[in-house]
Amino acid sequence: MAEEKKQPRIGVFVCHCGTNIAGTIDVESVKDYAATLPNVIVADDYQYMCSTPGQAKIIDAIKDHDLTGIVVAACTPRLHEPTFRTATKEGGLNPFRFEMANIRDQNSWVHMHDPEGATAKAKDAIRIAAAKASLLEDLYPKSVPVEHAAMVVGAGVGGIQAALDLANAGIKTYLVEKNPTVGGRMSQLDKTFPTLDCSQCILTPKMVDVGRHPNIELHTYTEVESVDGYIGNFDITLRKKARGVMSQDEATAKGIVGGGCNGCGDCAAACPVIKPNPFEFGMAPRKAIYIFHPQVVPLVYTIDFDACVKCGLCVEACGEKKAIDLEMTDTFETVKVGTVILSTGYDMFEIEKKREWGYKQFDNVITSLEFERLICASGPTGGHLIRPSDGETPMKVAFVLCAGSRDNTGVGKPYCSRFCCMYSLKHAHQIMEKIPGCQPYIFYMDIRSFGKMYEEFYYRIQNEGAKFIRGRVANVLEDAKTKNLHVYAEDTLLGRPVDLEVDMVVLAAAVQPTENIDPVRKMFGVSCSQDGWMLEAHPKLNPCGTTTAGVFLAGVCQGPKDIPDTVAQAEGAASAASIPIHTGKVELEPYFAQCLEEKCAGCGMCISQCPYSALDLIEKDGKQVMHVTEAKCKGCGTCGGFCPGGAIYMQHFTTPQIVAQIDAFLLGGEQ
Amino acid sequence: MHEYAFFLGCIAPNRYPGCEAAAIRTSRNVGIELLPLKGASCCPAPGAFGAVDLRVWYAMAARNICLAEEMNRDIALICNGCYKSIYEVNERLKEDDELRDEANEVLAEIDMEFKGSIDVYHLAELYYDPKVCGVEKIRESVVRPLDNTKIAVHYGCHLLKPLKERRFDDSENPMWIEALVEAVGAEPVQYRNKMQCCGAGGGVRGFDLAHSLDITNEKLININEAGADALTEVCPFCQLQFDRGQIEIKEKFGIEWGIPVLHYNELLGLAQGMSPQELALDLHAIDCKPFLDKVL
Repeated sequence: MAEEKKQPRIGVFVCHCGTNIAGTIDVESVKDYAATLPNVIVADDYQYMCSTPGQAKIIDAIKDHDLTGIVVAACTPRLHEPTFRTATKEGGLNPFRFEMANIRDQNSWVHMHDPEGATAKAKDAIRIAAAKASLLEDLYPKSVPVEHAAMVVGAGVGGIQAALDLANAGIKTYLVEKNPTVGGRMSQLDKTFPTLDCSQCILTPKMVDVGRHPNIELHTYTEVESVDGYIGNFDITLRKKARGVMSQDEATAKGIVGGGCNGCGDCAAACPVIKPNPFEFGMAPRKAIYIFHPQVVPLVYTIDFDACVKCGLCVEACGEKKAIDLEMTDTFETVKVGTVILSTGYDMFEIEKKREWGYKQFDNVITSLEFERLICASGPTGGHLIRPSDGETPMKVAFVLCAGSRDNTGVGKPYCSRFCCMYSLKHAHQIMEKIPGCQPYIFYMDIRSFGKMYEEFYYRIQNEGAKFIRGRVANVLEDAKTKNLHVYAEDTLLGRPVDLEVDMVVLAAAVQPTENIDPVRKMFGVSCSQDGWMLEAHPKLNPCGTTTAGVFLAGVCQGPKDIPDTVAQAEGAASAASIPIHTGKVELEPYFAQCLEEKCAGCGMCISQCPYSALDLIEKDGKQVMHVTEAKCKGCGTCGGFCPGGAIYMQHFTTPQIVAQIDAFLLGGEQ
Repeated sequence: MHEYAFFLGCIAPNRYPGCEAAAIRTSRNVGIELLPLKGASCCPAPGAFGAVDLRVWYAMAARNICLAEEMNRDIALICNGCYKSIYEVNERLKEDDELRDEANEVLAEIDMEFKGSIDVYHLAELYYDPKVCGVEKIRESVVRPLDNTKIAVHYGCHLLKPLKERRFDDSENPMWIEALVEAVGAEPVQYRNKMQCCGAGGGVRGFDLAHSLDITNEKLININEAGADALTEVCPFCQLQFDRGQIEIKEKFGIEWGIPVLHYNELLGLAQGMSPQELALDLHAIDCKPFLDKVL
């Protein structure tokens, strides 16, 4: 900490960033001003400080002028701090002797119409940075070992892919899914655009793989209960919800030879309780003991204890296998992993909130996911599309696109849900193929066929005879006698109102983040965008990472995307999540709180303040003192600000450094 | 007594004076006192003025609001067009410093300043709001229930839309005016496409009468199909379109509907015992007699 005091010698470098900075800020005058600041030995400017010659300036200046600190006034530490730290290190200084002044993102970009004000602000920022740089100290990052295991939360197609990649890379992977089976939304789909592959056919091989991969430990019907720890060493507690049925492994562990659920279904045949099946959106029945569909992984039945009357008929039917335990309770298990991938997917927007389209008011208005089940050969109608009101085959079907997406009324969602256009084109194709003479009408705002071979698919559907009407549907009304629907819209290409009578309306509802996902998101310290989607570390350059080290994202939980993009992101996330594990250790930025033991009174006030549970009290030299687990400490400074005795020293953000910054700002550099 | 500055608007006092009289007299019976807002101008009409120059619309509406600010009373009004102008301008000027400064620059010429110290309400929403009046109070004020009548409700666009600039939850299938109609003893009937425009607003009536009447006729077809004895609304401009519009529809398309059109204030007046003469129902274009025969 306290080293030999040497008169600080600071070098300041002002970046032009092309015209990004120099177009607004008078770089020349800022540089001249910097040269007059206390302790500043050298001031320079350059077109692009981040370029090789720019960095060479830093390296040479350190050697030529025996500098003790470096200030670069440029973009943002989020972008180039590592670059300049490396340059500082190459010049022979400790990399933490570098301080950055943001004169681009928070200055020239936002004040582009006020060059004078921006120039004055840049001078302030540099004065403040130089004041801090004069007091910077050498710091040394610590590294912590990384647990050779990972966790994937959510076992849709994204989670499945990520888990397989990690497992194939030789990493022990825990795949956690809240539902009784893996597969996610993709299991509910009939076909996939634009190739018209059967969704289940291409997904089930992967489902089977995760079910039997030696490196994957599958936890279905399980939720994340709590998260403790940090990158490399997450301790995650799982709540294994009471399933009521033991798998064969669980039975073997209990000593029941040849026992456990083998998926025979005798229990469901015996069960007297009938409930709507949520997997089929209530369009088909299921028993209180159930599986979602025939291809579930793992093939273990589940009891819906809200519906179960505990009559015991299933226990009898199960017989010798003794798989069923009606008194089962939730159990908890804590696992240790190095990195985590969240792939928690999406739910549909409650489209009944858009009352003008009559969902849940009129029988023959359905959502696209309900359509998927109705057109699916393994669905409730064996693949025959029928009108819910009378079971007739519809001959005219209207598809309402942007149902709740791109909606600025405050009811729906402002964003584009990205895959509705394409699946509605697919739906149009399916009804024309399955029902000769059936006419689809697609009401659209724009058709966004953005992917590979998507535009060609769009033309194909046009050529097959689907009718396209450019205009958002104003409202849908039911003819009480026939249960037919009138769709009202404006055809914005013809500039005329449309009143179309159809047999059925399909709403391509917007997607939104999975219900009740926020607690899970917060446990892992991941932020979210305005719309509730999980926030990536950088939209372009770090789309799989998050601001929490060691936590990665895959799939729609990060924002709407189709299956190819989800799988691609899952592979990216798996790759990113495997790097620290294969490296075996991670370096932590050395911004730790330090306890000045001679000042610490052992009051423990700081411990309850720490949001990261990094502090505790230990016995030392006969007195209680605070102790920091450095790997957990994020350097937020909450404890330091709170300590009544001033006994906490925040590395890289010491009280003298912060006071010097404030003084530099308020006193114009006089300290 | 809840006191409000009563913004009259233009159409009610000029075309349907009974509507104005009813507002003042009926509200008194449910604990609301409407005080005259002296010196008020046109709101100004959102379609006509707003379409030409929004700044004029902001400044004129702000002046009307200033008059109420000087009285230190919230505004109550009885017309959806006025509601759009006065309510929306009030909210926007409260939120937008730049807009407020611009309006105040104009208002300074007549020694006025928009402060943003009051709120704006439609009388119908005050009737429905239990904190001010509420359906129960309306029901208690009725001395002559409008039994055995079926009444169709027209809300009007500017009252509920745009949704994000209003405090009403539902602009697609609201039921609260139906509750007010039920409170005076009548049976509200649902009809197809209830939320369609009357055909008048947004300058359509002034720009293209035939088109505007076509929309009105569409509504009348649906209202007639539902078997309504009368139509009620909370906007004198909608009232004008439905009432006088029926005469114009007869002239232009040769269709005769004969559906009486009464502002909710007039309905409430009848239910509270006001006579048709006091309500100036003889000034309506469509004879209210068949409806009155059922009620009186």
